[in-house]
Amino acid sequence: MENYKKSVQTAPKSHSDCSGCGLCMLVCPMWRRNRDLQHSPHGCAKALQHGAAPDDLAEALWNCTLCRACDPVCPEQLDISGMILKLRGQLAHPQTTVLQGRMVAQTKRPASACQEKTALLAGEALRAHPALLKRITALLGESGVLAVAHDDGADISLALEAGLAIPPARLAAMIEPLRRADKVIVADGLLLPYLAQWLPAAQIFSLGETLSSLESIRRNLRSTDLYVIEPRAYHADYVRLVKHYDRLRKECGCDFNLDLQRIAIPATVRSLPQRLGLVASNDEDQTRWVLHGRRITRIVVESLEDRAAFEKVCAISVVHLAELADDL
Amino acid sequence: MPTNTSELALTEPGTVGPCHVGSDALQGIKRQQTNPTRWNGQGWTEFAAALRDNGIELRVAKAARGIFATDAGGTAYGLPHGVVIARSAAQVAGLLKAAQQFRVPVTVRGGGLTTEGESVAFGGVLLDMTGMSRVLQVDSDALTVRTEGGIFWHSLAEELRRCGMDYLSAPLNMTASVGGTLGVGGIDVNSPRLGCSADQAISLQVVTPTGDIVECSDTQHAELFQRVILGYGQFGVITEATLKIRRYTPLRMHYFYYDSLRTAVEDMQLLNRNDASDYSGILTIMDCAVNLLVAFDSDEREAAFRANWQRHLRGYGESGFALCMLRRYALRPWKLPEAWFLLQRKRELFPEFRRPEYMRDGLMHDRAVVFSRAVWKFWGSKQMVIPDLATSAEKFVEAVERGNAVCRKYFQHYTLYCVGIKLRPEHRPHYEMSCIPPDAEGWAYGCEFEPMMDERVYSRDYLQSFKNAIYDIGVDLGGSYYRFGGMMKGYIRRVFGDEVVDRHLAMKRATDPAMILNRDVIF
Repeated sequence: MENYKKSVQTAPKSHSDCSGCGLCMLVCPMWRRNRDLQHSPHGCAKALQHGAAPDDLAEALWNCTLCRACDPVCPEQLDISGMILKLRGQLAHPQTTVLQGRMVAQTKRPASACQEKTALLAGEALRAHPALLKRITALLGESGVLAVAHDDGADISLALEAGLAIPPARLAAMIEPLRRADKVIVADGLLLPYLAQWLPAAQIFSLGETLSSLESIRRNLRSTDLYVIEPRAYHADYVRLVKHYDRLRKECGCDFNLDLQRIAIPATVRSLPQRLGLVASNDEDQTRWVLHGRRITRIVVESLEDRAAFEKVCAISVVHLAELADDL
Repeated sequence: MPTNTSELALTEPGTVGPCHVGSDALQGIKRQQTNPTRWNGQGWTEFAAALRDNGIELRVAKAARGIFATDAGGTAYGLPHGVVIARSAAQVAGLLKAAQQFRVPVTVRGGGLTTEGESVAFGGVLLDMTGMSRVLQVDSDALTVRTEGGIFWHSLAEELRRCGMDYLSAPLNMTASVGGTLGVGGIDVNSPRLGCSADQAISLQVVTPTGDIVECSDTQHAELFQRVILGYGQFGVITEATLKIRRYTPLRMHYFYYDSLRTAVEDMQLLNRNDASDYSGILTIMDCAVNLLVAFDSDEREAAFRANWQRHLRGYGESGFALCMLRRYALRPWKLPEAWFLLQRKRELFPEFRRPEYMRDGLMHDRAVVFSRAVWKFWGSKQMVIPDLATSAEKFVEAVERGNAVCRKYFQHYTLYCVGIKLRPEHRPHYEMSCIPPDAEGWAYGCEFEPMMDERVYSRDYLQSFKNAIYDIGVDLGGSYYRFGGMMKGYIRRVFGDEVVDRHLAMKRATDPAMILNRDVIF
């Protein structure tokens, strides 16, 4: 398979180029939650075009979940999520010091170099489930030698989400140990396009795409499954991945959390304050919307965050993609 | 907030004052605005206080108001004094009652897809209906859906498709709102068979300009129903609607190519008259490269078309048309730049209509997604004018050809979109003073003339002159228009006549004594 970079296009445009079609609003989970144009990329762009400053839009900017659904639907090919991050960079986040402190601390704990050709950036959620991580490493290890990176950039991901600049020393501490890897698999979808920039020689894949490419997993998908795609990685590499999942649909017949524009409907809607635990999460309406009207017997998730959300609102069995594989 | 600060003189509703829109645009045409009043901010403070007392949130921050500074057309700009996000019929009723009391204009906005400033507030309150955008009930047995009025057709489709259902007809633009569409018409490529979107409404919950919440239909408060449907927002705010729906089917799509507009229009009308297809419409790349799209809901209908009607069509297939064009430009080498444009356009456009993620087994699964994405990708820009002509079937070819000549005069590149609308005789009262021409029988036909801006910026007067030249054809032919409000309202009396307009103005005054609801659109 091709990797991320080949399908990425640069879009050096800004919010002033927004023509106001509103297609981004249709896929924005924050708009869906609030039914309020202010909480949508369309609303932010129009407000900025007509005299608003980033500070005027602070609530909407911080509430954006960075699911990136707006990026592939924009007919002007605006890098909307990138613009939101730039605007966040002009705001002062209350957790800036904490997030910067995490990066400083991580820089002081340099990871050893990855010795294998394939590296997995597992992320905090997967690390909290060692049995599942072990299963994933075994599955991926079957198709090649794999090393789990000691430094998976969780602190960098949060800092990026807050619009903070990443100190060069911290970036080097994360990237240098990965230089020998030809292939990097990343669980955190937010990091995917950044890794493609930072490691231009390597192929970068999302964990969801990698696992769903394994025959041992594909053959256990059922036509009555709802397969829940992790939105951040999918939308970051939409042009290529829409074909990947379409092939999967044709082969397995399962349903997906895709809307009529083939955009992934997020099962959770978490703003940065919610990710940081500063505000309580409230995903139930969104999770129920993903399930609404579907006749399914099982939910298969790429993200552990989604598993927890579905288990909270329904009695349907929820499994992680890696758990579909035949016993190892 | 401004109170009595505007330099504009307060003009009483119903009196004729100066027109502030495109003052030099209607050259040679007597200016006939029906009620060009402007509001100068009088009573705003008291009005805002009354809303606060009623618990209605009024947003006055620059960021909140700036979002609504223009519409999809991008040629009319205005700022409301404040914005209210619609949340319930009771809240909208409270807003309109206060607006009547303090004579504050209220401009209602759905998807904001108007092009003549109809959803732009030049002062007063902007009521954003997208805050009321939930589906309330889908009845798969009765084939109806009850929905809030501010919902986008695409959001409605998302919900209906989960139940295996679909709406009947809707604009090929995903961010058009149901309420806004019912107020103006709504044309789909299945309108030649199913009529306009407004004809799909079974009943409505309407908040009248005086703040009464009324359920209306053809049998209940029928007069209000007749006026609100296709009423350009003059007689009430649609807060809920019950619409007909149908079982979802993907489309079997065919394209036929023509080098003559006349032939393509005649063939489209042939299909419509004989109920030979489920969908039909014309989209041009140039006036010598015309695409007639024909589509079907079932194999049976497609087979019947192939057996009975396909041979009557004079259009080419893709390769036949390529040969036709080759001949054309071989004989006219000085037109090679035109050929190059055509080729480039084909290369860009055609794949968009066949994107694999929206096609399965050769069937198009989401026509609104495919066409709406293409419309915005290839025709969308920050400045758009889309004048149109609506005529009876008999006059349509002439309207299209004359409109095309006007386009040629003003722009290098442009697109024509033509479609028929099946009329429902029992809905005649709905059609008065609307986009449906009074002399149309059986079908009405509409053509949109959309110039491609090609990264150029045109003055508003240039664009207005272009629109006027198109609209003059409508007056001449005794037709109508889809977009006759806002900046084009100078044509209303010319095309509908004083008797009809005065009658509607009298109804408007009776329904909306302070003339506060959507006052810059029609009256």
